[in-house]
Amino acid sequence: MRVHYLHYSRATMLKSTFTPIFCMLVPNPKSSKLSTLPITNTFKNCPPPVRQNASLKDPVSITVAPHLAYPTSAYVHLPFCRKRCHYCDFPIVALGSASTQIEDDPRVSNYVQFLCREIDAMKVECDAKKPLETVFFGGGTPSLVPARLVSKVLEALSLKFGVCEDAEISMEMDPGTFDARKMKEMMGLGVNRVSLGVQAFQEKLLRACGRAHGVEEVYESIGIVKSCGVENWSIDLISSLPHQTNDMWEESLRLAIEAQPTHVSVYDLQIEQGTKFGTLYTPGELPLPSETQSADFYKMASRVLCDADYNHYEISSYCKSGYECKHNFTYWKNKPYYGFGLGSASFVGGLRFSRPKKVNDYMGFVQSLENGLVNCSGNDHINVKDTAMDVVMLSLRTAKGIDLKCFQESFGSSIVSSLLDIYKPYFESGHVVCLDEKRRPIRIEDVTTSSFDENIRERKVAYIRLNDPEGFLLSNELISLAFEVIDSYNFGSPHQEAA
Amino acid sequence: MGYLSRSSKTLRQSKFLYHLFFSFPLSSICGGKSLIGGLPHHRFALSRALFCSHARQNSKENNRLELSEYPPELIRNFSIIAHIDHGKSTLADRLLELTGTIKKGHGQPQYLDKLQVERERGITVKAQTATMFYKHNIQDTNYSDGQGPPSFLLNLIDTPGHVDFSYEVSRSLAACQGALLVVDAAQGVQAQTVANFYLAFESNLTIIPVINKIDQPTADPDGVKAQLKSMFDLDPSDALLTSAKTGQGLDQVLPAVIQRIPPPPGKSGSPLRMLLLDSYYDEYKGVICHVAVVDGALRKGDKISAAATGQSYEALDVGIMHPELTPTGILLTGQVGYVVSGMRSTKEARVGDTLFHTRTIIEPLPGFKPAKHMVFSGLYPADGSDFDALNHAIERLTCNDASVSITKESSTALGLGFRCGFLGLLHMDVFHQRLEQEYGAHVISTVPTVPYIFEYSDGSKLQVENPAALPSNPKQRVTACWEPTVMATIIIPSQYVGSVITLCSERRGQQLEYSFIDSQRVFMKYRMPLREIVVDFYNELKSITSGYASFDYEDADYQQSDLVKLDILLNGQPVDAMATIVHNMKAYRVGRELVEKLKKAIDRQMFEISIQAAIGSKVIARETISAMRKNVLAKCYGGDVTRKRKLLEKQKEGKKRMKRVGSVDIPQEAFHELLKVS
Repeated sequence: MRVHYLHYSRATMLKSTFTPIFCMLVPNPKSSKLSTLPITNTFKNCPPPVRQNASLKDPVSITVAPHLAYPTSAYVHLPFCRKRCHYCDFPIVALGSASTQIEDDPRVSNYVQFLCREIDAMKVECDAKKPLETVFFGGGTPSLVPARLVSKVLEALSLKFGVCEDAEISMEMDPGTFDARKMKEMMGLGVNRVSLGVQAFQEKLLRACGRAHGVEEVYESIGIVKSCGVENWSIDLISSLPHQTNDMWEESLRLAIEAQPTHVSVYDLQIEQGTKFGTLYTPGELPLPSETQSADFYKMASRVLCDADYNHYEISSYCKSGYECKHNFTYWKNKPYYGFGLGSASFVGGLRFSRPKKVNDYMGFVQSLENGLVNCSGNDHINVKDTAMDVVMLSLRTAKGIDLKCFQESFGSSIVSSLLDIYKPYFESGHVVCLDEKRRPIRIEDVTTSSFDENIRERKVAYIRLNDPEGFLLSNELISLAFEVIDSYNFGSPHQEAA
Repeated sequence: MGYLSRSSKTLRQSKFLYHLFFSFPLSSICGGKSLIGGLPHHRFALSRALFCSHARQNSKENNRLELSEYPPELIRNFSIIAHIDHGKSTLADRLLELTGTIKKGHGQPQYLDKLQVERERGITVKAQTATMFYKHNIQDTNYSDGQGPPSFLLNLIDTPGHVDFSYEVSRSLAACQGALLVVDAAQGVQAQTVANFYLAFESNLTIIPVINKIDQPTADPDGVKAQLKSMFDLDPSDALLTSAKTGQGLDQVLPAVIQRIPPPPGKSGSPLRMLLLDSYYDEYKGVICHVAVVDGALRKGDKISAAATGQSYEALDVGIMHPELTPTGILLTGQVGYVVSGMRSTKEARVGDTLFHTRTIIEPLPGFKPAKHMVFSGLYPADGSDFDALNHAIERLTCNDASVSITKESSTALGLGFRCGFLGLLHMDVFHQRLEQEYGAHVISTVPTVPYIFEYSDGSKLQVENPAALPSNPKQRVTACWEPTVMATIIIPSQYVGSVITLCSERRGQQLEYSFIDSQRVFMKYRMPLREIVVDFYNELKSITSGYASFDYEDADYQQSDLVKLDILLNGQPVDAMATIVHNMKAYRVGRELVEKLKKAIDRQMFEISIQAAIGSKVIARETISAMRKNVLAKCYGGDVTRKRKLLEKQKEGKKRMKRVGSVDIPQEAFHELLKVS
């Protein structure tokens, strides 16, 4: 049974005591307990450096100081839904629309009990305990869970790690699953950010994708969120739904903007195997929009939302200035985070770990965790190549892009030039943009003419990012190009640095 | 050819001697005799099979005595030649069973076809030999002294059937004095029958026509006899009627071999001369050479030298193929067997070379017809990093197939690879298949080409085996081009004549001969540019004749022709590995076809891609692949980075398998598709 849980991906966390940066930032290297805070803060802007040191015995993996990498974010999975949406392949538990008495549903309370046990069983060294800065309740439909049970989870979290006073506590909420009273209850518990799963503003589309609510509930829920005074909230929309037309999409965007949320998430529908849509539809074929149409939806969202003063700060996220989702930024900055609950993913001690996706397996996992048979945090052993890939993949999702200076410090300068080389045709085509230190775009000619002088180029080009929308639209292609470069790169040999 | 005429002279002389001693008193009576004696012989042969298996056991104890009982007069070396599927391999199996060399029902069918590709395609690629023992009463009753009829040593030298392998055929035939010409009783004479007959005829072999598969309801042995008479001038009464399937008539075969085929002509008193027939590499024993002892004798432990290389070896093991390696310690004049000599690589064993006793002076045997490479193609590892693996595989395979020429070449699109010269199309196919099956190599092959000759205004000539090597915009004017041609033999049922003639003229063929073999079938001879049959001709021919056409060809001269180089450009950049040389008249059509195929094979990419076909700087066809609009924009839900990453890594792996020209990724299938354009 034990083996069953170990869906490790050999991933990464980093920071080595060898890098010059570390020495600079730590005022007194002996008092490492105190030094953690300023250092983590620097990581908000930089992927932590893992620059290769030639004197290392094992050049591919480095042991890093573990206390430097303690997470300040936690994802909590609350898997319950009324029913499964036709596009959904997440680990959820469908309760059925008949059971209105969720308050007393033993499945829910039982699950929350295990969730708290899991949080409790998480091994944290006392000296490394850091209060959480973000908590994210995702699902499933977290808003179905009674407030008193959510409260238990938050209690467990603050008992274990502590939760910052000003922590961002987000919750995914679906129209039709909460009233003003419940909203207030949640806010009372500390929930201060709501992600409202609207998906579409057309009755026909909502029904077609098997949502448990209609348009009426959508407006109702928006009203509740606003009247309860939730300042920071998001509307989630899905584009490229079956039967969706240009007009419908435009309408959805317009109505979303009219509701004045601080944040909008726009997800492009993925047809996943094993879902109802997966058996019914083929991507690009009717009633799904064509590739071109679907790309147009994406472009329209980008244009309409930017015109309404939303920043397109990540491939599928838009926000009013200052309302970025802090929790999600943890992922995109390749920072560590806890994960609790069915099927959730965590990144602790350099290890990416996914929990079992079936309830019984998950419960068994919690028991094994309590008995010390499973360990879901890594031993701070990192793989430089994996880290480089993760950093590229995650940072290219954001508008900020790759911070080349940080990247170079972590992975060496020659890989930066290789990256610039492979992207050269895409600078010219406009899919990828080079920015200087002040984030001003650099003309292609200036990049390409000086391409032989790496030093000049690298100092000049401070960031590379994917262009909005053309580059974002082809992010998979562009990121996998970078993967090719990183994959063929030999991080193990020091001479690469010299080359 | 020089060699052939010389060798036939020697053969003729020896045949003359043989006739004096042996066959003269026989020839007058043997014709009807063997037919009458059919049934008793059959029983006799069965008991012989038992005897032989005993003899085989004994032979392990006392080999020397065994072989020395077989002077040349008791030896017959023969091969079986036939059109594909006319029953050559089955007949060989039956003869091996009949003589007890292999047990009936044991071992795999097509015993001599050892390669997987041979079994799958039902063809023979490598020559194999097997030694059989068979007692036969030469004349009616000459054994009053209490001894039974003498035992004969028969060497069956199996040859490839297809003319691509005429090199291998010529090697094998040089060690034979006769051949069984097997013809299917229903299908009659086919194109390969014709080609093989002439090969054997040129080698001055005694030809025994065997009309096989007479058990078929549609069998028409008399019709076939008439064809043999009209086409090859073979006496109908000489033909044996057999069914390798039912066993009918098989008992006549070996008596006919013994009675009609002369014994090997060598002199046992002369110094040793052996013909190296073939060689292969055995993991445990090293290089094993198949040899035919022409003169003298070879004993285990003898020091031998190779005439061509001058190297000396020791005969570590000597024996016969019965049917597997069976040590005998000796090989005598006229016998065919194997030598293990401690050669390190089969490259030292030059097929056709003469082996002799070190420090003796001999006249080397006339060499074989050298391999002539008619079809060239580039072979590249499917994954660029596999070059070393492919190099190794090719090295190992050419150890056993010395008829492929290999030179390293590089392509901007495909990286490092090899330019390989083949004897023909089937040879190329078989080589590819063996690379994949036996060595697990994954290769991309470029469009096969033939060796062209270009002459420039300054008088210089350029032989082009790789179209990429021909300058697209030469400094000197091309004054003339030549291309190789073949003599094609096509035999078809008469109702298909019209469509076949159309096909041949589309392929720039020139009809030389047209005649009726019998009331239904037509025999045609065409002179055709080799280039035109290299790609897809045979498949096309089969499909328009519902599979009834038989086709074969042999090399002919070069002819002057109006040739141009057709470049394929992706986003303006020529792809060297896709360049071809075509006839000017067909350039437009081929260019259009190539461009259309590529459009289908290349996926949409981040840019618009233009695909052009051009002659020099003139673009003659163009297609555009529009740019990709978007691809999956999966979110990293709940921090599940791993899942997203796996997806992207899969995408990266896909890209890695592609070949990149400029910024255009070309899938391997694109190269395979191009092979299908004629």
